[in-house]
Amino acid sequence: MIVSRHSRIDSVAHFLRWVVFAAVALLVNFPILSTVLTSFKTNADINAYPPKWIFSPTLEHYRAVLASPNVNYSHYIMNSIVIATLGTIFAIVLTLPAAYAMVRQGVGRTWLLPIITNLRALPLIIFAIPFYFMYKQVGLLDTRIGLALISCIINIPIALVMFVGFVQDVPRELDDAAKIDGASMWKTLWHVVLPLSRPVMLAVFLLSFIYSWNEFLFGLILTTKNAVPVTVGATFFVTSRGIEWGPTAAAMTIGILPPLILGLFAYPYIGKSMLAGAVKG
Amino acid sequence: MSYASFETKEQASARALLVPLCLFMGALLGFPTLINLWYSFSDVSFQNMIGSFVGIDNYVAAVTNPKMWQALRFSLQFAVICTTIEVGAALILVFILHPLLVKRPWMTAILMLPMMVSPALMGVMYRLILNEFTGAVPVYLEMMGYAVNFLGRGNIYKTVVAIEVLQWTPFAFLILLTARQTVSYELEEAAAVDGATGFRSTFHILLPMMKPALVIVLFVRFIDSFRVFDHIYVLTGGGPGNLTTSISIYIYKLFFVQNTLGEAVAVSILLLLMSLTLIVVAMRLVVRRS
Repeated sequence: MIVSRHSRIDSVAHFLRWVVFAAVALLVNFPILSTVLTSFKTNADINAYPPKWIFSPTLEHYRAVLASPNVNYSHYIMNSIVIATLGTIFAIVLTLPAAYAMVRQGVGRTWLLPIITNLRALPLIIFAIPFYFMYKQVGLLDTRIGLALISCIINIPIALVMFVGFVQDVPRELDDAAKIDGASMWKTLWHVVLPLSRPVMLAVFLLSFIYSWNEFLFGLILTTKNAVPVTVGATFFVTSRGIEWGPTAAAMTIGILPPLILGLFAYPYIGKSMLAGAVKG
Repeated sequence: MSYASFETKEQASARALLVPLCLFMGALLGFPTLINLWYSFSDVSFQNMIGSFVGIDNYVAAVTNPKMWQALRFSLQFAVICTTIEVGAALILVFILHPLLVKRPWMTAILMLPMMVSPALMGVMYRLILNEFTGAVPVYLEMMGYAVNFLGRGNIYKTVVAIEVLQWTPFAFLILLTARQTVSYELEEAAAVDGATGFRSTFHILLPMMKPALVIVLFVRFIDSFRVFDHIYVLTGGGPGNLTTSISIYIYKLFFVQNTLGEAVAVSILLLLMSLTLIVVAMRLVVRRS
């Protein structure tokens, strides 16, 4: 008797957990769901009352967005891809060797590591104005490379923290073996550490790419036409004389899709990188 | 070659590995900060980009402008409210959902989707679904007999808070869930054997073990909400009036809308000093605790 009563309570609790999960999942994802559905609706279906959940999908808005004469959206997509990729690669190239030097030789560990990890806590707007002037002087305003450098700065703290955590887990014996064979620090880094770093490299790449892709403030301030990223370009659909629902929803869907897909693989690293930073930073 | 000089050579090549990063950060952050500092004491403008020394005029203009204090107040209040709700909700959800998610990572992934979206695009999407006439949310509420104008003056503050909370509670949830999952099964079993069940094991065993993660989440969410810009900018532009102007939006408007460059730079230097103070105090607290 007691056993069966317990199991009934358990299964009720289990059911309630599912209800809470479904409610929260729907609530937090509602704008995404609604926007994606709208992007596939015909104009008639968009204006239908009550709103339709089942309809025959159309790609007309995607065609309209990518061929729009007013907003060069495919160019903005390309901008975001180039900016996020370059920014991520720059950050990796700069931080992996530094992390190795910090962990193995302790150089800069007591001052540079805390400074860089704490950079993440500063409001970005502080740097927006001087960057505007500096870029204006050197001709980097409205260029992809200019925004890629910003992406790099934004990603350096998280990349450094993750690489420091990784190098700490590389057995020192591997380094020492290479050293005895006469390999210099550079060679050890290149032949021993780099091949081992593939998993963490992928994690850093995914997170940096997502953060770079989603950056908005500097894109808004430092670009006007040529290097406009997707996050800024998508807002053009709203501000230009009223809202065209279908094309705007299609533009949003394109703009959120890459980080959503990468995020499905990357989300566990976000938790780990945050907790690692706390222990070591 | 002596052992000592061998060590020095190692150290030297280690330093060489650090040089690119230092140069890069110095050039791209140190240099602009110095420019900023000079500009804050000068009458810089879009026409005169060098400017001449004007003493502390910009700082006087900055601190005597009530709108700066209003924006600062908004940011602080916004950060406190959002952080409290997010972390509180996340903590409760971790205890409800942990047993369900422990063997089903794909379900966690579904809950993580909002924080992968650019806050600016999230703002635009909410602008679509909250639109008074055609947005999905008001339409459904109308069918149930409610008329709510989410983007009107009366509700806009609650709306920008709600959007922030709905997008970032998943983040707080993820960090706390990660911490919860590292509490070993053996420990929980031992506690259960000792007679600690339900709330007692939660308060005496789980919460203390999750405390470091809680501190991190509170800190990260506070600073991120304090510097909020993206979703408010696309949703309201800081309005109506200055009702939703955060300190980041305030500086942006001083610079790009009103063209009062010197004052904008002075406010951003003050913000830098405040942020650095906060970071130093937070670090001290963390170091003392551990």
